[in-house]
Amino acid sequence: MSAISIHNVSKRFGNHLAVDNVSITVPEGAIYGFIGPNGSGKTTTIRMIMNILVPDSGDITVLGRPKATDVRDDIGYLPEERGLYKKMTVRRVLRYYGQLKGKPLAELDTAIADWLSRLALTDWADKKVEQLSKGMAQKVQFIAAVVSRPKLLILDEPFSGLDPVNAEVLRDAVLEMRRRGTTIVFSTHDMNAAERMCERIFMIFKGRKVLDGTLDEIQKEYAHDTARVRVTGGAAMLAGLPAVESINDHGNFQDVRLKGDPQAFLHQLVQKAAVQHFEITKPSLHDIFVRIARPADIDLTVAAAATTGGQA
Amino acid sequence: MNRILTIAKSEFLTLIQTKAFIFSLVLMPVLMVGLIFFMEYAEDHVDVDTRRFAVIDHTGTLYSKLSAAAEAHNQETLKDGVRTGPEFIPTLIDPAGRSVDDIKVTLSEQVRTKDLFAFIDIPADIVTKVEDAPTVAYYTETTSYEPLPSWLETTLNAEITKLRFDSAGIDQGLIAKLNTTTNVTTFGLVKRAADGTVGEAQEVDEVTRIFLPMFFLVLMFMAVMTVATQLLNAIIEEKMSKISEVLLGSVTPFQMLMGKLLGVVAVALLLALIYFAGGLYPVFTSGRWDLLDIPLMAWFLVFLVCATLMYGSIFLALGSACSDLKDAQSMMQPAMVLIILAYMGSFIVIRNPDSNIAIGMSFFPTMTPFAMMLRMAMPPGPPMWQAVLSVVVLIATTGLTVWAGARIFRVGILMQGKAPTLPELLKWIRA
Repeated sequence: MSAISIHNVSKRFGNHLAVDNVSITVPEGAIYGFIGPNGSGKTTTIRMIMNILVPDSGDITVLGRPKATDVRDDIGYLPEERGLYKKMTVRRVLRYYGQLKGKPLAELDTAIADWLSRLALTDWADKKVEQLSKGMAQKVQFIAAVVSRPKLLILDEPFSGLDPVNAEVLRDAVLEMRRRGTTIVFSTHDMNAAERMCERIFMIFKGRKVLDGTLDEIQKEYAHDTARVRVTGGAAMLAGLPAVESINDHGNFQDVRLKGDPQAFLHQLVQKAAVQHFEITKPSLHDIFVRIARPADIDLTVAAAATTGGQA
Repeated sequence: MNRILTIAKSEFLTLIQTKAFIFSLVLMPVLMVGLIFFMEYAEDHVDVDTRRFAVIDHTGTLYSKLSAAAEAHNQETLKDGVRTGPEFIPTLIDPAGRSVDDIKVTLSEQVRTKDLFAFIDIPADIVTKVEDAPTVAYYTETTSYEPLPSWLETTLNAEITKLRFDSAGIDQGLIAKLNTTTNVTTFGLVKRAADGTVGEAQEVDEVTRIFLPMFFLVLMFMAVMTVATQLLNAIIEEKMSKISEVLLGSVTPFQMLMGKLLGVVAVALLLALIYFAGGLYPVFTSGRWDLLDIPLMAWFLVFLVCATLMYGSIFLALGSACSDLKDAQSMMQPAMVLIILAYMGSFIVIRNPDSNIAIGMSFFPTMTPFAMMLRMAMPPGPPMWQAVLSVVVLIATTGLTVWAGARIFRVGILMQGKAPTLPELLKWIRA
């Protein structure tokens, strides 16, 4: 059974088509990453899954029910716009949010103690929220979303604005939820996190679905045309070769997007420079993301920069 | 329903723990009582100055009478050696061959240098000319000061009338006797007791006529104001700190709205109840048990609950449509006008509880709780059908405002940026 299934869903705000005929299926137990530039429709899609917004057309099924509101208590939700009552203590906020999910206090208190200690917040349990640092508050918000032991956890940008240490702590916490059998959907700008954590990735761009599949599937789709090379003379030697579409110069090596057969490119390259390293690579999620989302006019300047050996 | 109660409970507990609540609980009655005492004290004690004034008397007869009256007034306002009112000291101006204009200029100068407070000019024909009667001119720098000119008017009128009666040869004592006024005293209604005797009707006093209705009015006004400001602030705080969407992951907008509404209304009722208990204290000490009217109190509770719910849902809806406090201030003005209007209108009702305008106000939803409550508190009270109808109107309106409020709330709670216009709000309700 799928945890979430979205079928031909569209949503329009005024003249702006925020989500355009999107279909995805989130299998039970999976970690599903939603990626896409700002304003591409991630949050709208998530709000429609939560039934906070109603789609103009199409169907959404969540945990087997046509409305998330029917199974609200089984869903943990961390919206992008999230806050806590500043004057309440951490414990009281967490109890309150847990009670709103219909959980009894006894059960909540155990879970709260467990999560506070896991995220190193035990000492802050009886402090007021306004005394917390931003990173701590974000961890408390995460606990608020998971304290009711949801079957489905939806996180909108859970890692944004966190320092690397806290981001790591939260990533571990998400994986812990997954080990407990929770289906997880999260949106992120952090391609590294998406690449490492997600079994499946969904990318939305200008309201349309542009990627959907396992990381392997996605990389295969884009893999054939990227080569990582190191040659004497650097990026300048690559410019102007007929097989090159664009160059991403990392200094010591270059990622080259190719127009055709990698073997033909290698052949051209050997004739021009001494090749120290040649590898047909999988493009990173970051590269794929940028390739899809880069506006057309920026694409041109990058191509121009590439031909003069500049950095893309 | 459970979720609504969870929200209501949290809202209630949060509010009653705030400093603002404790403050309003203690400070408001202290301030109110203090204000009343201050006003009473001020009325008796502020104006005890000596007011010297000059009199240009062209009649040649009035000054001596005026002087005697001033002397009497000064004696009257001196109680046990303590002044309780202003002292009026007149001086007669001797023209000494000067023109009236010269005298006025000189006297004006003396007023400016504070040697005098004012001066008056009494025309020569003031007693004799009855048609197109001339006026006494009163000159002062302090034109806002009323006691002296009004005392002069009363005194001069009495003296001049007396002179006119005398010159017409009429005995004024006789006139006064013939003019003896007849009083109308207000009583409640008379019942025949079981033994056939007719009981003495009770004289209706100031307390039941004015004080009790005013007490209910102020209490209700205070509760509505508490609800309005608290809800507006609570919902805007929630929007500004972006809590609403977190909650919407767990509850429906309607549950959220109802929870907040019930929580804050409970706070307002608690506040009203505490003040009400405070109001009972004088009843106990004075032994006026007849003021303890149980059905009236039940009605009061019904009107209070409806009023707070109705106004609460209006302000909640407005709050959800605003993104910050600045928006809220401009959005709340029209709703504030409704409350103030209801409060001001109440004074019309107090003066004339059975007038058509009072009856009309009883059925105008935003005024109903105030107007009807007052009418019920003032004997004989409105007919039962009016009371019942007003409650029906009120409950229907409350249902409508809560429903419309929830519709606006649902859209507004996720909205950021510019506050919507009234047509936009209406669109949200219809959406």
